[in-house]
Amino acid sequence: MRRIPAALSVAALLAITTACSSLSPPGKETTAQARLTDLRPVRDGGTVTIGLKSDPDRLDPSLTTTLVARTVFTSMCEQLYDVDQQNKFVPQLAASLPKITDGGRTFTFDVRKDARFSDGARLDARAVKTSLDRHLHLRGSGRASEIDSVQKVTAVGPYTVRLSLSHPDVPLLGRLANTAGLIMSPKALKTYGADFATHPSCVGPFKYEKRVVGDRIELAKDPLYYDADKVHLDHVIYKTITDGNIRMANIRSGDVQIGDQMGPVEVRNSMGEKDLQLLNTPSLGYMALTLNVGNSHGIDKAPSPVDSPFGRDVRVREAFDLSLDRALINKLVFQGMYEPACGPVPPGTPLSTPVTCPKRDVAKAERLLKAAGVKTPVPLELMINTTPEDSRLGQVVQAMAADAGFDVRLRPTEFATGLTRTLAGDFQARTGGWGGQPDPAGNIDSLVGTTGSNNQGKLSDPEIDRLIVEGRSTSDVAERREIYRRLTVAINKQHGVIYLYRNINYVSASQDVSGIKLSGDGLIRVKEAGYTKGSR
Amino acid sequence: MKTLRQLLSSYVSRRIGMSLVTMVLVSITVFLGVRAMPGDTAQALAGEQTSPEVLAAIRSEYGLDDNIAVQYWRYVSNAVTGDFGTSARTGLPVLDSITQALPITLELAALSLLMAVVVGIGAGVMAAVRRGKPEEWLANGIALLGMSVPSFWLGIVLVLVFAIAMPVFAASGFVPFSTDPLENLRRLVLPAVVLGSGLAAVVMRQTRAAMIDAMSSDYVRTARAKGLAPAAVIGRHGLRNSLVTVITVLGLQLGHLISGAVVTEQVFVLPGFGKLTIDAVFTRDYAMVQGVVLFTSAAYILINLLVDFLYSVVDPRIRLGGSR
Repeated sequence: MRRIPAALSVAALLAITTACSSLSPPGKETTAQARLTDLRPVRDGGTVTIGLKSDPDRLDPSLTTTLVARTVFTSMCEQLYDVDQQNKFVPQLAASLPKITDGGRTFTFDVRKDARFSDGARLDARAVKTSLDRHLHLRGSGRASEIDSVQKVTAVGPYTVRLSLSHPDVPLLGRLANTAGLIMSPKALKTYGADFATHPSCVGPFKYEKRVVGDRIELAKDPLYYDADKVHLDHVIYKTITDGNIRMANIRSGDVQIGDQMGPVEVRNSMGEKDLQLLNTPSLGYMALTLNVGNSHGIDKAPSPVDSPFGRDVRVREAFDLSLDRALINKLVFQGMYEPACGPVPPGTPLSTPVTCPKRDVAKAERLLKAAGVKTPVPLELMINTTPEDSRLGQVVQAMAADAGFDVRLRPTEFATGLTRTLAGDFQARTGGWGGQPDPAGNIDSLVGTTGSNNQGKLSDPEIDRLIVEGRSTSDVAERREIYRRLTVAINKQHGVIYLYRNINYVSASQDVSGIKLSGDGLIRVKEAGYTKGSR
Repeated sequence: MKTLRQLLSSYVSRRIGMSLVTMVLVSITVFLGVRAMPGDTAQALAGEQTSPEVLAAIRSEYGLDDNIAVQYWRYVSNAVTGDFGTSARTGLPVLDSITQALPITLELAALSLLMAVVVGIGAGVMAAVRRGKPEEWLANGIALLGMSVPSFWLGIVLVLVFAIAMPVFAASGFVPFSTDPLENLRRLVLPAVVLGSGLAAVVMRQTRAAMIDAMSSDYVRTARAKGLAPAAVIGRHGLRNSLVTVITVLGLQLGHLISGAVVTEQVFVLPGFGKLTIDAVFTRDYAMVQGVVLFTSAAYILINLLVDFLYSVVDPRIRLGGSR
């Protein structure tokens, strides 16, 4: 009896809050097929401006911590490896995939012989060694923990690099296809040292020209780039426009040609506009509710069961999970523009297996709470971010969970404060997202492993820990796929992290521009982009 | 008996001394205030996906693990030499960011002020002179609208109308006047209208009230009785005597324009002071927050000084030091 009124009231509330922003009726639950590129021929010349959701931090591959900086790096700093549009690893500055020997303890690869950095220095094995050593040893490097299995980097030939690992680490390839694989000019590193961010120089289709903090980063075509023939644009400007509506208004007015990370509401509102095009690709990450199960004394301390119904009894957590309807959340909160999710492994990657999300089952949830012997309604404080999307998400979760016997109180908390509280273990549950990596280990190991540095709820389960080690040390793809299937089952059995939905990376662009490419990682590549022939 | 020069010298010294003390107090308040904000700076900078070693390195690099008095002394000692530190977020010098942002906000503030003065004083005088007539109702109505409409909404509407539907002005961005004067104006007119509309409304109401007061005073009656032309009565006697109030309001509002352009700069994507402040606060970029607040405070103090000096120029009855 209570189920329908709650769902209806949430639907009515959200209809009111979103009615002003969209004239379109709610669509299907997930968006159309992924569209990763547009192959219309382009002409040479011109400047494309890309609207970013936030201002990048340091333009230093060793020190950056933001995804948006990586978006800028796609134009000016290439990596050893990249992810193609099918989420497979492909060589970029490396000449081939690594040869893995010594039981997974040695990675050997060659680097391109035709590449130069924007400051004229040549790319060779020594340059790669210099960059990787800096990633490993620079004070404050954000990459050090990502590639900490690398004990030694050796230039075994002019263009051949060997990585000696402390233990088998198959997911290392995925990290070399990420920020840790970005290679910097040894000449610029020598000149600027820790201030590399003020004069970044790498191998890339465009080179750094100028930055105005909070406003723009200007890049110009690099004539030294090994693939310069394929580069059509003269300049690329990355402009920070934090508000999605304003980003869209700028695309419509022609001041900006490409809008990164567009939100569901703006995308929905712009659908069908003839001057605009939409590119999209499913995210490699996920959004979830993290329940505090064992983070009693801080994330850097050993797990210790939290004294609450959620910490004490897995049945309470399962009941909470069963009270939620992922498809309805997607429909109500994100206008059906995202995808329901129930596991950490992104679909569409070589190591994923199909997962069917459990259906909402309030009757079973009530039975579980009864069996657990807890007094209902079970109170839960849910920490949410101070964004309209998170606010809507919190309201929907609150209404759904109430049907099963939970009293969810929402606590909107600003990012830095929320982070501090989370790390200190001062929370019961929180909403949160993970950017995602093509190798599933990057979405699992540090997040649900007992000793994981990002295991915020301090979930601890021997089965999960055992499978994490197996997943890292197994190189056979079929075997790894089965390990990650079992891992997903084991994680979901604990109900400590309740996976809810997977973002879709939406990129809106002017019809005048073509050749933009989105890869599985959701980052915009404009190497081959340009204005269409016949456009202004 | 002190001469005017002595009075002036003592007044200026006293005001400058007070200004310096104010600046020191502001710097202490901001320094402590920023550090009292909840949430760890190093963590905010490093984000969620980081390790304890990175956090320790950030704390050490920016001296966040030092005693707070040591941190303050280090900051002040560097600031007096012109070194306002390095942005923990971007790694770039704070002073560079401020000197890039300040001219944009100052130009925007100047344009907004110009608009507010022309429209506000004009409409205020008209409303006072044409009391009880439709012109007064119109001016009052527009002023009420100017004060009530949220700047974010007005900005979006202006962009939709004048940058998308009729692309006369640009939706965003900034081009320096020295690079392209026309493009500079094309990009600043809409934000200046948004920022200046509220101020114009305030100025209009103040001018109207002061003019009504002045126009019913004895000296205006005398001027009229002497047969002076109506324009001269309004301009030379009415408006001039109303300007003290208007200048006070403008002085206070100019400070708001410099510090309060936050919303307008966000809507029109202008890399000015407001945008710099917001970004710095959200990322706990201590050095940047301190830098922008100190510069804003200095601007407030300077403007107040100028307003005080202008009083004596506009109204000879006001003497330095308050003596008559």
